[in-house]
Amino acid sequence: MPGNTLKRRCIWLFVGGLTLLPGFAAVAADELVVYSGRSDKFVKPVVEAFSAKTGIKVVLHTAESTALLNKLRLEGAKTPADVFISNDAGNLQVGSDMGLFKPLPKEIGDVIPANYRAADNSWIGLSARARVLVVNKNNADAMAIKSVWDIADPKWKGKLGVTSATNESFIAGMTVYLQSWGEAKTKQWLAGIKDNAEGRVFSKHSAIVSDVAAGKLAVGLVNHYYIFRHLAEHPDAPVAILLPDQGEGAMGVAWNVAGAAVPKNSAKAEQAQQLMAFFVSAEGQRMFAEANSEYPTREGVPAADEVPAAGSYRVAPVPMAELGKQRNATVDLIESAGMP
Amino acid sequence: MNSQPSATVGRVNLPRPNFLALSALLVVLMAAIPLLFVIHSSGQLGSEQWARLWSARVVSLLFNTLSLAVLVAIGCFVLGVSCAWFVTRRDFPGRTLAVWLLVLPLTIPTYVFAHIYTELLKHDGWLGSVWHGIFGADTPTPDLSNVWGCAFILALAGFSYVFLLVRGALQQSTLAMDEAARIHGAAPWQVFLRVNLPMLRPAIAAGLAVVTLHVLSDFGAVSMLRYQTFTLSIYSQMSSRFDYQGAAGLSLILVSLSLSFLLIERFFRQRQRYYATGYRRERALKVARGWERWVIWSWLGLVTVLAFVLPVSWMIVWSWEAWRLGDIGNEFWGYAFNSGLVSFIAATLAVILALPVGLYHTKRQNFLSHSFVQLSNVGFVLPGPVVALGIIVFVLSGFMQQSMPWLYGSFAALVMAVVIRFLPLAVQSQEAAMQQLKPSIEQAGRVLGAGPLENLWRVTIPMIRGGMISAWVLVFIDVLKELPATLILRPIGFDTLPVRIWIEASEEMLKLAAPAALVLVVGTFPAIWVMMRGEKT
Repeated sequence: MPGNTLKRRCIWLFVGGLTLLPGFAAVAADELVVYSGRSDKFVKPVVEAFSAKTGIKVVLHTAESTALLNKLRLEGAKTPADVFISNDAGNLQVGSDMGLFKPLPKEIGDVIPANYRAADNSWIGLSARARVLVVNKNNADAMAIKSVWDIADPKWKGKLGVTSATNESFIAGMTVYLQSWGEAKTKQWLAGIKDNAEGRVFSKHSAIVSDVAAGKLAVGLVNHYYIFRHLAEHPDAPVAILLPDQGEGAMGVAWNVAGAAVPKNSAKAEQAQQLMAFFVSAEGQRMFAEANSEYPTREGVPAADEVPAAGSYRVAPVPMAELGKQRNATVDLIESAGMP
Repeated sequence: MNSQPSATVGRVNLPRPNFLALSALLVVLMAAIPLLFVIHSSGQLGSEQWARLWSARVVSLLFNTLSLAVLVAIGCFVLGVSCAWFVTRRDFPGRTLAVWLLVLPLTIPTYVFAHIYTELLKHDGWLGSVWHGIFGADTPTPDLSNVWGCAFILALAGFSYVFLLVRGALQQSTLAMDEAARIHGAAPWQVFLRVNLPMLRPAIAAGLAVVTLHVLSDFGAVSMLRYQTFTLSIYSQMSSRFDYQGAAGLSLILVSLSLSFLLIERFFRQRQRYYATGYRRERALKVARGWERWVIWSWLGLVTVLAFVLPVSWMIVWSWEAWRLGDIGNEFWGYAFNSGLVSFIAATLAVILALPVGLYHTKRQNFLSHSFVQLSNVGFVLPGPVVALGIIVFVLSGFMQQSMPWLYGSFAALVMAVVIRFLPLAVQSQEAAMQQLKPSIEQAGRVLGAGPLENLWRVTIPMIRGGMISAWVLVFIDVLKELPATLILRPIGFDTLPVRIWIEASEEMLKLAAPAALVLVVGTFPAIWVMMRGEKT
């Protein structure tokens, strides 16, 4: 009976599959496991260059940075991770405060300026992004904006694009403003933002940029690379990057870094450190920055040409580690303001 | 079609009740692991923390979650019942095609729906352009990040469950009743309202229950659209604040909500038990008249275009783009293989494990068996991330570390989590099939000398084959789409299609996600084909 052979085949297939169950855990013993909270598109080229150079194989395990940090914490000594890459300094510092990471040797850490790494070198920032304003070139009013503070002005009602307040970049930016403005003023700003957004927050930065380009919005609060990503696809789009809070005594532009750390319980700490050393090398730094028009954190390695050069404008002097230390305070503030 | 108190009927032929009860108990214990974790963790919350959780969150979350569930249920009811009625009560050109197109939205995960519609509704997207063409360039396109947008997405993604169940029930119900009503002068709409609808109640209730549970535990769409429901809030509590106890507390409230909802649904369904008579009169369907065809296809056309044709066209266009740019490599097929493997094994296991639970309940119908069925539902009502967390904690616990140290990070732990998540689908649909088993047939098997196991193998299973097949397919489809538990529990380097979609989409490389979504849809075709075929025999 044909039905019977089919049935039998299905049964064998199933039994065969079951025997695979335990085997699948196997990551080859010589492979370096990287928990990556960034898109493979940005991380893969760097990692592949490393493998080609050293012969050490690397497996990328990609997910949300926060989810991976949770995983690291729960796994404790059982973790298979050798390197943790996060898209946000806040996560790295939180992990460091939980004691999850092993500090890196000075010769690796000290390559990166102290502002962009943990004080004890338990994590280091690899590429930086600026929290800037995107404006429509045809809107003279918007082009005249001087400060992030100004976008809370009621005159931008319905014309302002912001992401949801759960976005990591939004939270990190807020932490910087909070340091500079204090709680009362920041709350006032949030209320203005909330009004201007008219209950419509974006889940995607790219959508804000494209709405500004189309003239639906006048101004948006985004990370700088989204503007260049949009311009790469639509070179004629009427959008401009606006660096807020410049000039004497002003707060400066908020920065945030993506970075990496070596988990305390990594079984291959030595190779992991090799990878970290490659990340901070001039070559690794260039690759990291190129992939996403970001700023290399190592001094002397330039960002892409289209990006406003680091050092040509004022950056808020907040150490990246503060982004983690102050995160809960920021989140509490956001929640009390009822920002969606 | 008589309802029958069944406790007395079932007792006669219990095949080694202890063995059956024991296997059911084991299955239920496994299914309850995440619940134990939730109860244990929330037990550590002090009364002050509870109060803070309650005052800060719970009320608005309750409101958000319930209003979403109600809207989606209404949407699915309207879409599912109307479409099912058209395809079972009228014959019109393209009817088979319509049935397929109405089932296929099941293959598209909610987060893909959410993504695609966000893209389509951008001012320069396909729908955005149409919108501006109709309403003028100054009218902003509708925003999906609110209860209406979420309800729209989830209704499109879920109405097929209602459609399938109601269609099945309409096919089973005899046309004689419709005819009798017509002879007595009822208009077609009166037949529908007063004859069909009441008889469809169990099917509609079952369909809406599945839909509602999907809504309560949905993670994908609400996280894409940033609509704060219990599930999303639990996730952020856990992931960005590392507050597992708070997450567990919120989960406990969600579970109580969902379980009480299920009890109500059961209560309404319980009063009706229909035994299939084995006799069904075949009759040609009424051929739709000219204007009826027009009406039918305008409606079905609108529904299928929104729920399937449009999203899939979008996927095809962008997949073609990705193909042209050479973004689809060998790894890609590896992800597809991984997805298929997990889904195949999990679906098969779920069907096998659901058998004792369903059988025990069908035969016993007592408090214990009821509790078993309720407890086996836990995986479905808990958010995926919480199930995964429960499994991690369980697997990493001292006892498990000693007895099965290889389990953590293995494929088996992932399979275990997804089986727990979707076991209820298997239990429900097998149990529905079992309820139609006439006890007399089983008794006949026993009288003719078959032992309990032989009876199970040769009488019971063949008779509930249809239910088992649809159970398998439902679980297969859901595992194929599963995201949150897979993200957390997959073995290192083991990526599935949803994981890839999620990774690409979260970095706003949405277009790279299109090929994976398309393969997911195409890969589900055979499963749906099996289900549709199994239904006919």
